[in-house]
Amino acid sequence: MNVVLQMVMALVTAILLGQLWLFTVTLDVMENPAVSIRVAIAATVCSLLACGSVWILIRFFLNAEQSETGG
Amino acid sequence: MGRLKMPSRWKHDFPVPSAVDSYVTRREFTKFLGLTSLAFLIGTCAAAARKLAKLLFPRQTSSVAVADIQEIPVGGYKLFRYPTEHDPCILLRLEENQFVAFDQRCTHLSCPVVFNTATRQLACPCHEGFFSAENGLPLAGPPKRPLAQLSVTTENARVLVGQSEERTA
Repeated sequence: MNVVLQMVMALVTAILLGQLWLFTVTLDVMENPAVSIRVAIAATVCSLLACGSVWILIRFFLNAEQSETGG
Repeated sequence: MGRLKMPSRWKHDFPVPSAVDSYVTRREFTKFLGLTSLAFLIGTCAAAARKLAKLLFPRQTSSVAVADIQEIPVGGYKLFRYPTEHDPCILLRLEENQFVAFDQRCTHLSCPVVFNTATRQLACPCHEGFFSAENGLPLAGPPKRPLAQLSVTTENARVLVGQSEERTA
Protein backbone atom coordinates (compact mmCIF):
# COMPACT_ATOMS: atom_id res chain seq x y z
CA MET A 1 0.00 0.00 0.00
CA ASN A 2 2.87 2.32 0.81
CA VAL A 3 4.14 1.95 -2.75
CA VAL A 4 0.76 3.07 -4.10
CA LEU A 5 0.86 6.13 -1.90
CA GLN A 6 4.34 6.99 -3.12
CA MET A 7 3.16 6.62 -6.70
CA VAL A 8 0.27 8.95 -5.99
CA MET A 9 2.64 11.52 -4.56
CA ALA A 10 4.94 11.19 -7.58
CA LEU A 11 1.94 11.71 -9.87
CA VAL A 12 0.86 14.80 -7.93
CA THR A 13 4.38 16.20 -8.17
CA ALA A 14 4.45 15.56 -11.94
CA ILE A 15 1.09 17.31 -12.36
CA LEU A 16 2.37 20.29 -10.37
CA LEU A 17 5.41 20.54 -12.64
CA GLY A 18 3.06 20.44 -15.63
CA GLN A 19 1.01 23.24 -14.10
CA LEU A 20 4.17 25.29 -13.62
CA TRP A 21 4.95 24.84 -17.32
CA LEU A 22 1.40 25.85 -18.28
CA PHE A 23 1.79 28.96 -16.15
CA THR A 24 5.00 29.94 -17.96
CA VAL A 25 3.29 29.33 -21.32
CA THR A 26 0.43 31.64 -20.33
CA LEU A 27 2.87 34.31 -19.16
CA ASP A 28 4.58 34.14 -22.55
CA VAL A 29 1.20 34.47 -24.30
CA MET A 30 0.43 37.50 -22.16
CA GLU A 31 3.67 39.22 -23.10
CA ASN A 32 3.87 38.21 -26.73
CA PRO A 33 1.20 39.71 -29.01
CA ALA A 34 2.11 37.25 -31.76
CA VAL A 35 0.70 34.29 -29.81
CA SER A 36 -3.02 33.60 -30.03
CA ILE A 37 -5.36 33.89 -27.06
CA ARG A 38 -6.44 30.31 -27.79
CA VAL A 39 -3.15 29.07 -26.37
CA ALA A 40 -3.84 30.89 -23.11
CA ILE A 41 -7.39 29.50 -22.96
CA ALA A 42 -6.15 25.96 -23.63
CA ALA A 43 -3.46 26.33 -20.95
CA THR A 44 -6.03 27.61 -18.46
CA VAL A 45 -8.39 24.69 -19.13
CA CYS A 46 -5.52 22.21 -18.79
CA SER A 47 -4.43 23.88 -15.54
CA LEU A 48 -8.01 23.65 -14.24
CA LEU A 49 -8.13 19.93 -15.05
CA ALA A 50 -4.73 19.44 -13.45
CA CYS A 51 -5.81 21.24 -10.29
CA GLY A 52 -8.94 19.08 -10.07
CA SER A 53 -6.83 15.96 -10.56
CA VAL A 54 -4.45 17.01 -7.80
CA TRP A 55 -7.28 17.52 -5.33
CA ILE A 56 -8.87 14.16 -6.28
CA LEU A 57 -5.52 12.40 -5.87
CA ILE A 58 -4.95 14.08 -2.53
CA ARG A 59 -8.38 13.00 -1.36
CA PHE A 60 -7.57 9.45 -2.48
CA PHE A 61 -4.20 9.65 -0.75
CA LEU A 62 -5.66 10.80 2.56
CA ASN A 63 -8.45 8.22 2.47
CA ALA A 64 -5.96 5.44 1.71
CA GLU A 65 -3.69 6.61 4.50
CA GLN A 66 -6.58 6.77 6.92
CA SER A 67 -7.70 3.25 6.11
CA GLU A 68 -4.10 2.03 6.34
CA THR A 69 -3.50 3.51 9.77
CA GLY A 70 -7.02 2.83 10.94
CA GLY A 71 -7.34 6.42 12.10
CA MET B 1 30.91 17.64 45.11
CA GLY B 2 28.86 17.71 41.95
CA ARG B 3 26.51 20.54 41.15
CA LEU B 4 22.88 19.80 41.46
CA LYS B 5 21.30 19.82 38.00
CA MET B 6 18.05 21.66 37.92
CA PRO B 7 15.76 21.44 34.85
CA SER B 8 15.45 24.73 33.05
CA ARG B 9 12.36 26.68 33.83
CA TRP B 10 11.61 27.33 30.16
CA LYS B 11 11.58 23.59 29.45
CA HIS B 12 8.87 23.22 31.99
CA ASP B 13 6.89 26.15 30.57
CA PHE B 14 7.28 25.13 26.89
CA PRO B 15 7.55 21.33 26.82
CA VAL B 16 7.77 21.05 23.01
CA PRO B 17 10.96 19.42 21.61
CA SER B 18 12.32 21.06 18.47
CA ALA B 19 11.95 17.80 16.49
CA VAL B 20 8.24 17.70 17.24
CA ASP B 21 7.89 21.40 16.50
CA SER B 22 9.31 21.04 12.97
CA TYR B 23 7.48 17.79 12.19
CA VAL B 24 5.21 18.04 9.15
CA THR B 25 2.47 15.48 8.83
CA ARG B 26 1.54 13.95 5.48
CA ARG B 27 -1.82 15.64 5.70
CA GLU B 28 -0.17 19.05 6.06
CA PHE B 29 2.19 18.32 3.20
CA THR B 30 -0.60 17.24 0.85
CA LYS B 31 -2.53 20.36 1.83
CA PHE B 32 0.52 22.39 0.81
CA LEU B 33 0.64 20.57 -2.55
CA GLY B 34 -3.05 21.22 -3.15
CA LEU B 35 -2.68 24.91 -2.36
CA THR B 36 0.35 25.10 -4.67
CA SER B 37 -1.75 23.64 -7.47
CA LEU B 38 -4.47 26.18 -6.73
CA ALA B 39 -1.92 29.00 -6.80
CA PHE B 40 -0.68 27.87 -10.24
CA LEU B 41 -4.28 27.78 -11.49
CA ILE B 42 -4.99 31.29 -10.18
CA GLY B 43 -1.78 32.60 -11.77
CA THR B 44 -2.62 31.00 -15.11
CA CYS B 45 -6.16 32.41 -15.02
CA ALA B 46 -4.84 35.88 -14.17
CA ALA B 47 -2.36 35.86 -17.06
CA ALA B 48 -5.02 34.62 -19.49
CA ALA B 49 -7.48 37.25 -18.24
CA ARG B 50 -4.91 39.98 -18.76
CA LYS B 51 -4.27 38.80 -22.32
CA LEU B 52 -8.02 38.77 -22.94
CA ALA B 53 -8.39 42.26 -21.49
CA LYS B 54 -5.62 43.52 -23.77
CA LEU B 55 -7.50 42.16 -26.78
CA LEU B 56 -10.94 43.39 -25.72
CA PHE B 57 -9.89 46.81 -24.47
CA PRO B 58 -6.87 48.00 -26.45
CA ARG B 59 -5.13 51.06 -25.08
CA GLN B 60 -6.40 54.10 -26.92
CA THR B 61 -3.65 56.64 -27.33
CA SER B 62 -3.54 59.43 -29.83
CA SER B 63 -0.63 60.11 -32.15
CA VAL B 64 1.87 62.68 -30.99
CA ALA B 65 4.58 64.60 -32.84
CA VAL B 66 7.98 63.55 -31.57
CA ALA B 67 10.36 65.22 -34.05
CA ASP B 68 10.74 67.43 -37.12
CA ILE B 69 11.65 65.54 -40.28
CA GLN B 70 14.84 67.54 -40.87
CA GLU B 71 15.82 67.03 -37.25
CA ILE B 72 16.85 63.43 -37.92
CA PRO B 73 19.35 62.69 -40.72
CA VAL B 74 19.10 59.50 -42.77
CA GLY B 75 20.64 56.74 -40.62
CA GLY B 76 20.02 58.77 -37.49
CA TYR B 77 17.71 58.29 -34.56
CA LYS B 78 15.95 60.12 -31.77
CA LEU B 79 14.94 58.94 -28.33
CA PHE B 80 11.56 59.88 -26.93
CA ARG B 81 9.00 58.65 -24.43
CA TYR B 82 5.58 57.34 -25.40
CA PRO B 83 2.82 57.01 -24.31
CA THR B 84 3.97 57.89 -20.78
CA GLU B 85 7.19 59.24 -19.30
CA HIS B 86 8.01 55.69 -18.19
CA ASP B 87 8.02 54.23 -21.72
CA PRO B 88 11.31 54.89 -23.55
CA CYS B 89 11.12 54.62 -27.33
CA ILE B 90 13.45 55.09 -30.26
CA LEU B 91 12.65 56.66 -33.64
CA LEU B 92 14.87 55.64 -36.58
CA ARG B 93 15.22 57.20 -40.01
CA LEU B 94 16.32 54.33 -42.22
CA GLU B 95 15.78 55.99 -45.62
CA GLU B 96 14.81 59.43 -46.86
CA ASN B 97 11.12 58.67 -46.35
CA GLN B 98 11.28 55.63 -44.09
CA PHE B 99 10.78 56.14 -40.38
CA VAL B 100 10.26 53.36 -37.85
CA ALA B 101 9.78 53.53 -34.10
CA PHE B 102 10.10 50.88 -31.42
CA ASP B 103 9.80 50.49 -27.71
CA GLN B 104 13.39 50.86 -26.55
CA ARG B 105 13.18 48.12 -23.94
CA CYS B 106 14.76 44.84 -24.96
CA THR B 107 12.29 41.95 -24.83
CA HIS B 108 14.84 39.88 -22.92
CA LEU B 109 15.36 41.81 -19.69
CA SER B 110 14.25 45.35 -20.61
CA CYS B 111 17.68 46.92 -21.12
CA PRO B 112 17.50 49.89 -23.53
CA VAL B 113 18.52 48.97 -27.08
CA VAL B 114 20.78 51.24 -29.15
CA PHE B 115 20.87 51.76 -32.89
CA ASN B 116 23.92 50.68 -34.88
CA THR B 117 23.90 52.68 -38.11
CA ALA B 118 26.54 50.54 -39.84
CA THR B 119 24.73 47.24 -39.38
CA ARG B 120 21.24 48.76 -39.36
CA GLN B 121 20.46 46.78 -36.23
CA LEU B 122 19.22 47.57 -32.78
CA ALA B 123 21.60 46.11 -30.23
CA CYS B 124 21.08 45.38 -26.57
CA PRO B 125 24.43 45.93 -24.80
CA CYS B 126 23.45 43.99 -21.69
CA HIS B 127 23.38 40.47 -23.17
CA GLU B 128 24.26 41.09 -26.81
CA GLY B 129 20.81 40.75 -28.26
CA PHE B 130 20.24 42.07 -31.78
CA PHE B 131 17.05 43.16 -33.52
CA SER B 132 16.29 44.15 -37.09
CA ALA B 133 15.87 47.89 -37.44
CA GLU B 134 13.37 47.28 -40.24
CA ASN B 135 10.75 45.40 -38.24
CA GLY B 136 12.13 44.81 -34.74
CA LEU B 137 12.40 41.03 -35.13
CA PRO B 138 15.09 39.34 -33.02
CA LEU B 139 18.16 38.36 -35.04
CA ALA B 140 20.59 36.99 -32.48
CA GLY B 141 21.20 36.64 -28.76
CA PRO B 142 18.84 35.82 -25.91
CA PRO B 143 15.74 37.80 -27.03
CA LYS B 144 13.07 35.61 -28.59
CA ARG B 145 10.30 38.18 -29.03
CA PRO B 146 10.28 41.21 -31.34
CA LEU B 147 10.46 44.77 -30.10
CA ALA B 148 7.08 46.44 -29.75
CA GLN B 149 6.64 48.57 -32.84
CA LEU B 150 4.87 51.93 -32.98
CA SER B 151 3.05 53.31 -35.99
CA VAL B 152 4.79 56.26 -37.63
CA THR B 153 3.33 58.85 -39.97
CA THR B 154 4.60 62.16 -41.28
CA GLU B 155 2.49 65.29 -41.47
CA ASN B 156 3.44 68.91 -42.04
CA ALA B 157 7.16 68.10 -41.84
CA ARG B 158 6.62 66.47 -38.45
CA VAL B 159 6.97 62.82 -37.46
CA LEU B 160 3.93 61.49 -35.62
CA VAL B 161 4.02 58.34 -33.53
CA GLY B 162 0.94 56.32 -32.63
CA GLN B 163 0.02 53.35 -30.49
CA SER B 164 1.73 50.02 -30.82
CA GLU B 165 0.70 47.83 -33.68
CA GLU B 166 -0.41 44.40 -32.52
CA ARG B 167 1.59 41.77 -34.35
CA THR B 168 -0.37 38.77 -35.46
CA ALA B 169 0.93 35.32 -36.12
